[in-house]
Amino acid sequence: MIKKKVCMVGEFSVGKTSLTQKFVNNVFSETYLTTIGVKIDTVQIEDTKLVIWDIAGRDSLSPINASYLVGAAGVVLVADGTRLQTVESISEIWSTVREKIGEVPCVVALNKADLEDWCVDNTTIESLRDRGWDVFETSAKDGVMVESLFHKIVEKTKE
Amino acid sequence: MSQLDELRQIIIGDNSAQLTELKQRIENVEQRTKDVAEVLSSAIEKELSSQQSGIVDSLQKPVTLGLKKAIRSEPQEYAEILYPVMAPSIRRAISQAISSMMVTINRTIESATTAQGLSLRYESLRTGIPYAELALRQTLLYRVEHLYLIDQNTGMAMTTLHADNAQSLDSDAVSAMFSAIQSFIHDSFSVDEGSRLTDLKVGDQNVWVVHGASAMLACVIRGEAPVSLRQELYDALDMVRTDFANEIAEYDGDAAKFMGARSILQPLLRSELKQEDSATENKKKDKPVGPILFSLGVLAALTWLVVHWYDSYSRLSTVKHFLDQTPGITANHVIHDDGKIVVQGLKDPDAIIPYQTLNSYGIAESDIRFATVPVRSLEPEMELARFTNEFSLPTGVSLYKKDGKIYLEGDAPYEWLKSNQTRILNLASDKRLNISRLAADEQSVRAAINARYDSVRINSMTSSIKTEHSKMGVVNIELEVSSKEFASLVSSFSGIPWVKIEANIK
Repeated sequence: MIKKKVCMVGEFSVGKTSLTQKFVNNVFSETYLTTIGVKIDTVQIEDTKLVIWDIAGRDSLSPINASYLVGAAGVVLVADGTRLQTVESISEIWSTVREKIGEVPCVVALNKADLEDWCVDNTTIESLRDRGWDVFETSAKDGVMVESLFHKIVEKTKE
Repeated sequence: MSQLDELRQIIIGDNSAQLTELKQRIENVEQRTKDVAEVLSSAIEKELSSQQSGIVDSLQKPVTLGLKKAIRSEPQEYAEILYPVMAPSIRRAISQAISSMMVTINRTIESATTAQGLSLRYESLRTGIPYAELALRQTLLYRVEHLYLIDQNTGMAMTTLHADNAQSLDSDAVSAMFSAIQSFIHDSFSVDEGSRLTDLKVGDQNVWVVHGASAMLACVIRGEAPVSLRQELYDALDMVRTDFANEIAEYDGDAAKFMGARSILQPLLRSELKQEDSATENKKKDKPVGPILFSLGVLAALTWLVVHWYDSYSRLSTVKHFLDQTPGITANHVIHDDGKIVVQGLKDPDAIIPYQTLNSYGIAESDIRFATVPVRSLEPEMELARFTNEFSLPTGVSLYKKDGKIYLEGDAPYEWLKSNQTRILNLASDKRLNISRLAADEQSVRAAINARYDSVRINSMTSSIKTEHSKMGVVNIELEVSSKEFASLVSSFSGIPWVKIEANIK
């Protein structure tokens, strides 16, 4: 069995841990618990064992810990669809990732699609797709597109 | 001869024949095979002596494939060849495993009978960790429980080994976490590039990490391992790095490539028991005999108390049960006092105690003492016994119990009725005796009249029909007497309600 390391990166409180927990353990909690450092989960997808590094979110005080990215076979860029600023910061985070580990397969999760105050328009989504990224409008709460997101990143790491 | 041939002849000269021969030799496959066979063995020998591995590396794959194919096609033959080599090793391994198991069992049994063993039982109940595991921990000096060969770059486990019965963990998550901790410490403490995490300690578990250029070996140890183990870890990691240099450099998450590394790491998964001396010391310290005797004593005392209590309770219950069924006794309390079974309540002096039945349950008459209030019981059984003793019943009269009542029934002789009339009528009046079917015997009445008055002429004598609802049976007599005799007759039969006389005065 092949093992792949995949990192979840994104701004503070965009739902990286929720997406991981929904996919790995099929659980969702409304309670917000911030991740300190990194959380690691493993899950098997067909013939691949995915080792998911759920890296603590970035904010103005804590830059992303790039050391955790080393050796990643793929990256999931996560943003909060109700906070446009987190979507805009994806580019900056991607630059950090590319600087540290180079071009690696990447997918984008615009999370919290179940909330009414969604503020990402199609133009923004298309601009992300134009960069060659697969974009998924996910909901960790309802599980919408969560499986597709992780299956896609596995598929891309095999290419 | 052409000009070209002439030129060739000038240049090559006499070597032409040799070239032709060489060409034929190359084209002849059989000859070429023979030539290769002649030089192959010496070429291999030369290669080995010069410590170069070109030919060996080239031959490795075809030889392995050939060997595999040959073993598959003729497994029996290879088994026979290998048997003399493998069998002693297998026997030795089994023997060692059994011996090790016996030591473990002995130690477990030993520790189970000591105060320490009891303490471990409690600890096992409290924590949910199996007793055997706790007992083993007590006797272990150290045990290497997990080994993780980790890729420095990705933090993923290239291969992992675990000791038997060691707590199972998600190897990839643990490996990744070691790597993450390494990164965290490296970033947080601004240490040199060459400084690495080498030790972690959690409770009685230690994690030793040794680092290579692109791989690290993490070793989870329970207890205190000797320092020399760290050097062994380095040696093993170096060996893996040498033998699997390419696989490590090109690691892509495929752990199958490192199956061969397991045989290098396997010897590190070992344990060492505490020295026998210290075990003996512990044994002396524990002195298991004392606690065992004390426990047995307590157990015996408890058993005796339970048995005694049950026996006492059982005897009291038996006595009460049978007394409750005995007419004339109301046993309110049956208790133990001064070695006797004491019955408290009410008791008719005429009550018949079922001593014979109680005796069959091991309760003698002398064991029972009655501390009762004497009463006259009106229970039908007691009344019947009492009346039977009191009245000497003549022939034709019976006394019996029916539906909770006492009946006196039959044709009674006049003389018997006369002597008992007061008592009978009083009992009937108190409703303690039913006399609705009691009557006077006609013959005895006639005999009584005739015995006293010879001249009396009895015209008729009839008896009333006796029923349950009649007050009593009555004999009606019609006779002819003188006025003087009539007065005497009436006087004689006065107070006897069972006889009624009507007379014609002469």
